[in-house]
Amino acid sequence: MNLELTWRLLKGGGRRGLLGTWLTLGAVAVSTALLLFAVTANFAFEDRGERGAWRNPVPAAQGQRAVAVEGTRLDYVRDRQIVIVDLAALGSSPPVPPGMPRFPAPGEAYFSPALAALAKQLPAAQLAGRFPAMTGVLGEEALVHPEELVAVVGQRPDAPVMTAPRGADDAPVRVADLAGEPSMDSQGYRILALIGSVLMVVPLLVFGGAAARLTVARRDQRLAALRLVGATPGQVVGMTVAEAVIVAFAGVLTGTVAYALALPLLTRIRMSGGPWFAADLWPDPPVLAATVVAVPLLVGLSAVAGLRRVVVSPLGVAKRETPPAMRFLRVLVLLAALAAFPLMGRDTGIAIIVAAIGLAFLSVNLVGPWVVALIGRITARGARGPARLLAGRRLVDDPRSAWRTVSGVALTGFVAGFLALLSPGVLTSDAVPGQLRVLVPEGSSATVAEHARDRLREAGVTATVKQSDDVVAVTVADRDDPATLDRGRTALAGLVPGRTATTGADDDHTGAQLLADIGVGTVVVLSVSFLVAIASAGITAASSILDRRQTYGLLRLAGTPLAVLDRARRAETLIPLTVMGGGSILVGAFCATPFMFGAPNANGLIMLLVCVGLGFAGVLAAGALSRPLLRAVTTDPAPRPD
Amino acid sequence: MNDVLAGLALTKRFGQTVALGGVDIAVRAAEAVAIMGPSGSGKSTLLHCLAGIMKPDDGEVHLLGQRIDAMGERERSALRRTRFGFVFQFGQLLPELPAEENVALPLMLGGVARAQAVRQAREWFGPLGLQGMETRRPGELSGGQAQRVAIARALVTKPAVVFADEPTGALDQSTGHDTMRLLVEATRANGASLIVVTHDPNVAAWCDRTVEVRDGKLLAGGVPA
Ligand SMILES: Nc1ncnc2c1ncn2[C@@H]1O[C@H](COP(=O)(O)OP(=O)(O)O)[C@@H](O)[C@H]1O
Ligand SMILES: [Mg+2]
Repeated sequence: MNLELTWRLLKGGGRRGLLGTWLTLGAVAVSTALLLFAVTANFAFEDRGERGAWRNPVPAAQGQRAVAVEGTRLDYVRDRQIVIVDLAALGSSPPVPPGMPRFPAPGEAYFSPALAALAKQLPAAQLAGRFPAMTGVLGEEALVHPEELVAVVGQRPDAPVMTAPRGADDAPVRVADLAGEPSMDSQGYRILALIGSVLMVVPLLVFGGAAARLTVARRDQRLAALRLVGATPGQVVGMTVAEAVIVAFAGVLTGTVAYALALPLLTRIRMSGGPWFAADLWPDPPVLAATVVAVPLLVGLSAVAGLRRVVVSPLGVAKRETPPAMRFLRVLVLLAALAAFPLMGRDTGIAIIVAAIGLAFLSVNLVGPWVVALIGRITARGARGPARLLAGRRLVDDPRSAWRTVSGVALTGFVAGFLALLSPGVLTSDAVPGQLRVLVPEGSSATVAEHARDRLREAGVTATVKQSDDVVAVTVADRDDPATLDRGRTALAGLVPGRTATTGADDDHTGAQLLADIGVGTVVVLSVSFLVAIASAGITAASSILDRRQTYGLLRLAGTPLAVLDRARRAETLIPLTVMGGGSILVGAFCATPFMFGAPNANGLIMLLVCVGLGFAGVLAAGALSRPLLRAVTTDPAPRPD
Repeated sequence: MNDVLAGLALTKRFGQTVALGGVDIAVRAAEAVAIMGPSGSGKSTLLHCLAGIMKPDDGEVHLLGQRIDAMGERERSALRRTRFGFVFQFGQLLPELPAEENVALPLMLGGVARAQAVRQAREWFGPLGLQGMETRRPGELSGGQAQRVAIARALVTKPAVVFADEPTGALDQSTGHDTMRLLVEATRANGASLIVVTHDPNVAAWCDRTVEVRDGKLLAGGVPA
């Protein structure tokens, strides 16, 4: 209908109108890129879990015809984990496993590319000697990540490795197909990814809303003028929404391109011991389509909400009254949400925990403006000089917009507080360095120990072999040399069918990996929150200047020093930032207490301090960046209402 | 010479446009001067040059015998804050400050303690017909009331000269007249000179003298008779 007029408004907004448009576009682009990341991360973990599922065999159900026997065991080289899948065909037409041209015949071995490379690089006595000669290389569809070490070894169904007794969990089973199921570990990672996403998406939504209102802020005066000359509310809403949606759409496309460009970097984030396939982190078409549709839609809705005031009355924004006081109800909501936490523990269902964290997070966001208004009243009451007074009154006047400036960092404070308590310490291990242990069937430890001595002697590895009822322990002479250890491992491969000789560190590998991954995940989540926080601080700072350019300009004409305006503007950000940032850290930490294991560790606290420091620095920098804008806006010798 | 403010041969160009083409103007103590002329004739430019908001390309501005057009921005800014008062068409009040704090702001900027500044500010409300409006915020005032608050703010620092650029341009005629009369009377009562841009010949009649501007030149009345 009014598309042409809308377009002209968009272009004709003048340099400053255009600046608002650019800011919105940038904000939407940043939001989109980060949103894509937060969402695809979940799918990426799901993809990993599904690609790894085939090595996690599910026993054939009663009455199903078994087509193969499949068993998975873990081995180690240097300090990396190798997944070894033993496959034996039952019958003449076994299914083709993923990533392989055919079902492996007994004595065949398929290596993942990383394992193939490592086997070539290390002497055979350290790695390759543990497997049959390599038949082929596994395709990507069989791998969790590109650097994974995987060996698939073809066996006979009656080979000792397939039949020898093992633990209940990892004994080879007869399977009806090779679909398997995602491992428990991969499910755990998906839950962690989900929590991380919630923590990233909530500030993003807040930020996106602020960005949408930015377009409206630029336009409301012009639109109020349109109303005065007789445009109907429908036309005004239509034009604004059309404008917001056009800009948001451009922002979404920019953000998607930015995400695509950042992809090579993102794939390098190491999780569960390796980087990512680009395809894992690239959103599926439905996700992409939903983003491209949903983000402009949300921006449009947000714009409508922001416009209500203008539409209600032609005098709209020109008339500004004392805003109704924020209701204390907001605080009660937060308290209610927080009251739920002490009732929870580590055995609480994950859905409830995620919901409660999301709720607590949202209520912090709800309480924010209330606290900001309170801080504003206190600041204004105690102010002696003009800058403090201006800052305090401004906080009381529009606590929501002041909160938007600092909400990002404050909510990051929540995340930091939450994660600081959860970030686990280092595992304490009582492992003996240089000692490989292998479980042996009852009563056979003497024979196995003898075999072990023979094998080690043959391989030229000097070691002492000890035995107990069910364990044979081999301690290599050169304890600190990883190569010697791997020669020992290789010499002992197959000593007890289906079992590998492992060090204490090997046995802790999964736990240590999980801790490392939680650390990486924390850094990722915090980095995203920070980007959001700083971008939102910068954008809202700029928009608040643009909103008030006329008053600032006239004050400056009347001789108000720029420094006073700038100091007021900074106080307006820093005071609530300090209070809310500190408050959210405490609330976040409080929410984490039920899930803590052990005392909070120094790493967590250091991380917290670094976060607080970075957050403050970022917001200060973002605010400083808008100082030239303040100067430009106020040096216009004759500001006219445009 | 008892001129408070004098502009000599003021010239200002914006690119090709000659906004001021050599203007001589002088204002005496407690004198009210109306500046009239069609839109775009250079009235605001003249005001801005006299008030030290803009530097003229040529010519001089003297305040109480002291040359001010050659000062740096910082000094001129301080001068505007302490020696001049301003009333603009609208939008000069900070929407989040109550009326009394808007009035007190220039005093606080000048280092007066807050309580003292607010007390002094309140004294202006009665004479300007603003009783009971002290703690209202600009959005809760009518246009005429807001302009009277602006007048109080312009006068609170006891300036030598008040500049008003179409101060009633956004008001209806009768409110505009009332406001303008208050402006002229209040500045006179405080011993301040007034330079006011207006389109309304009736309003001009309140002033001691009217100056006509056409295409950047004065038709008549630049210097007191
Ligand atoms: N900042 C500016 N940049 C360019 N031209 C200007 C500027 N300010 C005023 N002018 C021009 O100078 C002339 C006088 O303007 P102004 O003093 O604002 O007129 P008045 O106030 O009488 O309406 C006009 O032609 C106007 O377009
Ligand atoms: Mg003008």
